[in-house]
Amino acid sequence: MNLPELAFVALAATAVVTAVGALLVRELVHTIMWIAVFFVDLAAIYFLLEAPFLGVLQLGVYAGAVTVLLLLGIMVTRKRIFSREAATGIGPAALALALLAFVFVVTAVGEFPNAAQPIHSYDPAALSQNLFGANGAWLLLLGLVMLVSVAGAIYLVREGRE
Amino acid sequence: MIALPPIGFVGLSGALLAVGIFGILTRRNFVLLLISIEVAMNAAILDFVYFAAYAPGTANGLSGQSIAVVLVGFAATEVAVGLAIVLALYRVKGTINVAEATDLKL
Repeated sequence: MNLPELAFVALAATAVVTAVGALLVRELVHTIMWIAVFFVDLAAIYFLLEAPFLGVLQLGVYAGAVTVLLLLGIMVTRKRIFSREAATGIGPAALALALLAFVFVVTAVGEFPNAAQPIHSYDPAALSQNLFGANGAWLLLLGLVMLVSVAGAIYLVREGRE
Repeated sequence: MIALPPIGFVGLSGALLAVGIFGILTRRNFVLLLISIEVAMNAAILDFVYFAAYAPGTANGLSGQSIAVVLVGFAATEVAVGLAIVLALYRVKGTINVAEATDLKL
């Protein structure tokens, strides 16, 4: 096993462990800590995949903004920030459905060539040309959705609403 | 240049999707629900980024990364709206337990 493969295995194991840990710990603040590690870990995987722009975006948007937003959500909705959640058991039906999803996704591997695919680096300028050219419609849609969601969020939290 | 097999990436994204679905179905706290949705979305984004490497340098390869960029934006938007719903729910119910938000039930 060469070094990139070893790095990937370590990062993948960390990603799964932190994602599971985030959902199983009972203190919500600890959940946010786990999920922050998870986001940073995924950013490292993007760097490994020679996608540095996405890695930086992951660090800025997920590890930065989303983590702080979630922390704020916890901060303003509880009297004691470090209070424990009531245990919600592990439903067998949910576990079965999750396993089914895993098997469903993994069986798709048979459709792809099994050999290791060389990962090429790309020019960020070409990505931006693609993003604002061929995929410009998606970006416009994203802008529209963001505008509408900001309006919706302001409507939801405005003063005097019961 | 490095080379990585698809089984690892599809396995990882499948595992993350499974963790996300499990969280969505079992957690009752709205913030944990949001986190579960984020984990599942990150599984999809990881697949987009990996399979962009299958057509390097071409428009298809770049499209995979472009869609991943757009998806990150969508996910951030979703968290912002989710947090607004958390605040609205807390103001009305005094809790963010989704099991108690049953006003629309018949």
